[in-house]
Amino acid sequence: MPGPLSVRTFLWVCLMLGLLAAPGARAQAPSFAAGGLTVCTNPTLPPMTFVNGTDSSDLAGVDIDVSRRLGAYWHVPVSFVSMDFVGLFPSLEAGRCGMVISGVVRQPAREVKFDAVPYQPTSLVVVARAGTAPIAAMADLSGKVLAVQSGTSYAARVAQENVALAAAGRPPIEIQQYPTEDQVVQQVLIGRAFAFVSQDVELAFRQTQLNGKVSVIFQPDYPEFRNFAIYIRKDARDRAALAGAIAALRDSGQMTPILQRWRIIPGGGAQESTARAASGFNWRTFASALVSPAFARGAAITLAMAVLSHLTAIGLAVPMAMVMNGRDGLLKSAIRAYVALFRAAPTLLQLLFVWNALPQFLPVFREAWFTPFLAAWISLSINEAAYQVEINRAALQAIDPGQALAGDALGMTRMQVYRHVIFPQALRIALPSTINEFISLIKTTSLASVISLQELLAVTQINVARTFEFTEYYAAALIYYLLIVFFFLWVQKRIERRFAWADRLKATSHAAA
Amino acid sequence: MPQPDAAPMIEVRNLQKSYGDFAVLRNVSFSVARGEKIVILGPSGSGKSTLIRCFNRIEPHDAGEIVIDGERIDQTTELTRLRCTVGMVFQNYNLFPHLSVLENCALPPRVVKKAGREAAEDLAMNFLHRVNIADQARKYPIQLSGGQQQRVAIARALCMQPSVMLFDEPTAALDPEAVSGVADIMASLSADGMTTLCVTHEMGFARRIADRIIFMDQGRILESAPPEDFFTRPRTDRARDFLSQMIRY
Repeated sequence: MPGPLSVRTFLWVCLMLGLLAAPGARAQAPSFAAGGLTVCTNPTLPPMTFVNGTDSSDLAGVDIDVSRRLGAYWHVPVSFVSMDFVGLFPSLEAGRCGMVISGVVRQPAREVKFDAVPYQPTSLVVVARAGTAPIAAMADLSGKVLAVQSGTSYAARVAQENVALAAAGRPPIEIQQYPTEDQVVQQVLIGRAFAFVSQDVELAFRQTQLNGKVSVIFQPDYPEFRNFAIYIRKDARDRAALAGAIAALRDSGQMTPILQRWRIIPGGGAQESTARAASGFNWRTFASALVSPAFARGAAITLAMAVLSHLTAIGLAVPMAMVMNGRDGLLKSAIRAYVALFRAAPTLLQLLFVWNALPQFLPVFREAWFTPFLAAWISLSINEAAYQVEINRAALQAIDPGQALAGDALGMTRMQVYRHVIFPQALRIALPSTINEFISLIKTTSLASVISLQELLAVTQINVARTFEFTEYYAAALIYYLLIVFFFLWVQKRIERRFAWADRLKATSHAAA
Repeated sequence: MPQPDAAPMIEVRNLQKSYGDFAVLRNVSFSVARGEKIVILGPSGSGKSTLIRCFNRIEPHDAGEIVIDGERIDQTTELTRLRCTVGMVFQNYNLFPHLSVLENCALPPRVVKKAGREAAEDLAMNFLHRVNIADQARKYPIQLSGGQQQRVAIARALCMQPSVMLFDEPTAALDPEAVSGVADIMASLSADGMTTLCVTHEMGFARRIADRIIFMDQGRILESAPPEDFFTRPRTDRARDFLSQMIRY
């Protein structure tokens, strides 16, 4: 069949020629973006990456725009995974995303493990409350409190200054680390910290929110803080492809509108100002946060996570407690080891382990079905079950052995004795501690923000980062937590009413009613 | 295979049981006729309670043979069926505190015999009437006196409609008036042909209800006699000592 074959060959050659003729427009996606570009970012750092509205899945900023341009350049779809800053690099390493772009400066220490490609120049600034006299050198911060974002390289750099200060016999700069950029700024606003360290571009954007409440007092010339970089897993070819793509975007003039849009360079359209009068309690913000879908959704996630995890934990803990109350054996020793291990390890560590370390051992956990919700559910259930086993074991142990004996003597099976005789009585004993654990778990769910679960506190922080209205959003979050906890305390009271049989006086009034 | 009435209800041959090195029952043999009321006496640790607990296999025996109503009791015995035949009442009543008096009695027929709720409650009320406590049916155990609770426990065991009832020191926690109430009930049971075995420390109670006294010491049966003979003419020194101790108190 020479005819069709030659036609096909002809078309094929044309296609190849077309690709070669326009390498910029049809660039081959690097391996980390093959089939789709997944981007890890911590959207609390305007104007680089943040949430510019109440919908916490609607990301905005320079980093987001650059990612989208890269996706368009490689003809691949782009998706974003928001998470705590601390989770970014472990997630990159675990293969949860192809690249990290989150206003992270290019840093030699980070390049030991990852490849970095710079995309935006920047410079470090030391910022204090407006009216503070400028300083002449970093050494002038000696003995003062400096706030930095944890997980960033600022702290390590300032620690180097401290070595020099110590050598000179002067007191060190006191470094305080906070998980988000907005909390860092807040420390200066409330006067706990003398200054904070940030990047100039962020500060320029923050100034509009802060109404000039802060000002730059020093601009240290650290060479390693001169560029924001995109980080990828080590791969020379990918690195070259990414650098080429950034250069192509710049050369084709696609970077300029991004920088203008976010006011990093002058020009461009009017950026919607998020500035507000930052004095007093803004009831409008508070009220709109309370009724916003984002907060309701965050609270729903918090509630669902706590309820599901605790139910799973109870489901796991009941049979384990039954084994613990039985004869010694291998299974009992295994459960004892499990309880010891999971009560000893911090919950945060367990979350990070399940989310970031597990995929390194078992690649199936890298796939999309393993969502942050699922990971948090698994971690919190397993963690909570370790505590619940102890509660259930103690409750079962508190039941008079004569109860089981009577059940046996009446011909009940072991399961019937548990179901009809022991569990209903053990429930009364276990309930107060169980509700206590549950209330504690509701608040523990906030840890899951490090693995990018958008629960109530994560939503709160994203909104605070966007607007700097701390009190209003914290208060809104508090209301949600209080509502949830009070609801369950009420449920506890309702259930306890059914335990009147345990109290002679109550039983009498109950029977009379 | 229908059993002739002459056949014993319970037949025990060379029964042995030990906890580790300690022999609780040593070659115990005896038989119990249908409808007979046996009271087992003996000092603490003589193996009385262990003996009757072997009959519903709450304590499995090590060696020897137990035949109840023609059926051998061993590891192959279906426990649910055995315990429907052999009911038991405990010293501390062991009522289920989370259930009302009525529910205490109706629960076992419902879950073990799969009786309907209504049928089970009718049955329960019937036996609660029998033990004169039907008026307390809606109360919880915690609201009843000890004597009332023990009567409920007897009604609960009767709801399984057993042919043998085991009483493990049923009056040990009761005041004298309540003891007499329980004794009345036990007497009325045997009038209906119930076979009963009762472990007790109360001599008056034993004398009143027993057809036959079995005296045990150190895992052995030393005497087996009608109460009149046992209390007036004990044959062994050990029984004499035991009775004199009891009378002194």
